[in-house]
Amino acid sequence: MADTLADNGAVAPADGPDTGHDYDGIRELDNRLPNWWLASLVGAIVFGFAYWTYYQVFHAGPTEMAAYHAELAQAERAAKALQAAHPLDDATLVAMSKKPAVVAAGSATFHSTCAACHGANAQGLIGPNLTDAYWIHGGRPTEILHTVTSGVPAKGMPTWGPVLGATRVQQVVAYLLTIRDTDVPGKPPQGQLYQTAIAPGGK
Amino acid sequence: MPAALPPVPSLDRLASIGRDGSHLSIEPADVRGRFVRWRTALDAILIAIYLGLPFVRIHGHPAVQLDIATRHFFLFGGDFNAQDGFRLVFVLLALGASLLFVTALYGRVWCGWACPQTVFLEGVFRRIERWIDGPRATRLRLDRAPWTLPKLARRALKHTAYTLIALILAHAFLAYFVSFPELTEMIRRDPRQHLTAFVWTMAIAGGLYFDFAFFREQMCIVLCPYGRLQSALMDKDSLIIGYDEGRGEPRGRLTRAERKGTRWTGAPKGDCVDCGRCVAVCPTGIDIRQGSQLECVGCARCIDACDDVMRKLGRAPGLIRYDSETGLAGQKRRLLRGRVLVYGALVVAALGGLVASTAWRAPFEADLMRIEGAPYVLDGGVIRDEYELHLVNKDSVPSRLRLSAEAPASLQLTIPQRSIRLEPLEDFAVPIIATLPRADWKRSFEFELIISDAASGQTREIDTQFLGPMQ
Repeated sequence: MADTLADNGAVAPADGPDTGHDYDGIRELDNRLPNWWLASLVGAIVFGFAYWTYYQVFHAGPTEMAAYHAELAQAERAAKALQAAHPLDDATLVAMSKKPAVVAAGSATFHSTCAACHGANAQGLIGPNLTDAYWIHGGRPTEILHTVTSGVPAKGMPTWGPVLGATRVQQVVAYLLTIRDTDVPGKPPQGQLYQTAIAPGGK
Repeated sequence: MPAALPPVPSLDRLASIGRDGSHLSIEPADVRGRFVRWRTALDAILIAIYLGLPFVRIHGHPAVQLDIATRHFFLFGGDFNAQDGFRLVFVLLALGASLLFVTALYGRVWCGWACPQTVFLEGVFRRIERWIDGPRATRLRLDRAPWTLPKLARRALKHTAYTLIALILAHAFLAYFVSFPELTEMIRRDPRQHLTAFVWTMAIAGGLYFDFAFFREQMCIVLCPYGRLQSALMDKDSLIIGYDEGRGEPRGRLTRAERKGTRWTGAPKGDCVDCGRCVAVCPTGIDIRQGSQLECVGCARCIDACDDVMRKLGRAPGLIRYDSETGLAGQKRRLLRGRVLVYGALVVAALGGLVASTAWRAPFEADLMRIEGAPYVLDGGVIRDEYELHLVNKDSVPSRLRLSAEAPASLQLTIPQRSIRLEPLEDFAVPIIATLPRADWKRSFEFELIISDAASGQTREIDTQFLGPMQ
């Protein structure tokens, strides 16, 4: 038995200082607080004071609102940079409409989702005929994209962006560009004439 | 340096805090015995569980994964999302009440046997310290020794090992919140690409290192709120680790003559020979013979130590043992007390709530909303109302939902998709357009949408109003 108390020669400490407080036999002693505990308390006070001085007295740091706006601005810049790197303009959408895989995917989405209102041949039912040259909310590819993405709630066009996602919306627009101006007999034309021949790609 | 000397335990002060407030490191002596053997086995099992839960897969998903960013929670085969958040109340209540219940019955078994703090401290870090620095006497000597090169080398080795394990534990902890492929990907990539996760992991690793290398028993004695609550939860019939005063006192060492049995000095002596082994092996530095104390985490090392001494002296074991205060006083321990019944009822109620709310959990959610904008549109000869049906598959398998309607024949309903396949936790919004010829319009009326899930056979009916102009 090597490891016993007697071996290490420790001496019993005197009783801690007594405050004299006695509650039902429970005495309150005034032992020194653990240093680490005291340090964390003092540290919290110092930090709190420094934090308050920094943000509330000298306004040296950004407020939460300012930080929020800065983050928004940064997100906007990032979106613009992305748009600049991969522009989603009329020409891009027209180019997408030349890719059979994209058009096939768009056609599938159109028939499962859009055909209920626009007709199986896009000839128009509740929604307008999409095969004529007339467009209520603009016939440029980017305008069609905007109409599908954001919808026209007042007229009954749902907001498809969040439901389908950007990719599927673009595929649907690509499909629409392949069937526009085919004049399938159906709902009579509504809206403004948009002449593809005059503005190819819509620039 | 006197700080390296363990002070003699006293009820009046913490053994681990010096008179000047400094933290004294406690160096428990080695001990062998049945509880230590059980601990070794249990530590191995619990370490495997605590580290393995995010990696074990049930139904193709981690056993436990709390993806806070996407609010996607996998728990033991269950698949939960944010809408299931309220069930957390039952889980937390059940855990809290079980803690009360177990404490009232068995005292600090959680602290002594299952708490990760104890498991990793005793099962991993102290073992490493024992391998590198040797037994207690050597460690105490090393603590007091001047900083020579060999000491420096030992310390460097020890703290490198601590750091490595703290890093492993921090990553294992991170695995509870991010998927395994994501975790390995993050480990491979530049930390700047996932700065938040990196800083968190390093901060957790730093915290774990500080805790297990230095802070240790201070966590249980000063910081842990559960530890501080115990004294309020226990009573004289709760199981504690206690010293049988009636049998042990008056304590004292035997003279050589008495040990040989050749001469009896006259003074009666109890079974405690005051060898101090129970104090030397204690990881919080207390003397259990002074009674049940806040610092005791219930590790049972002193039981093994004392039983060993008793066996060598040819006396019965159990001078220090698991028992209640009533049991130690020689009375019968009562198991069923008011607090046990109340705590038990709380556990049952919370578990009942959890089971009921989980059993009634629908495999899908369906909410019908009017589209934003005007409540109805007059379009030529028809009135048009538009809705959006929001569907969420809450099951952990893909589901197929079918839509149908019960409405007057004059109402024409346009539903783009009547059969919708949804991946687990996928959500989808279906626009629904209802039109009525103006000639058929009298006043607003109700119609019904029916959503049925083929797999579970569950059906949801949603009643809604068709609105039009005032006549």
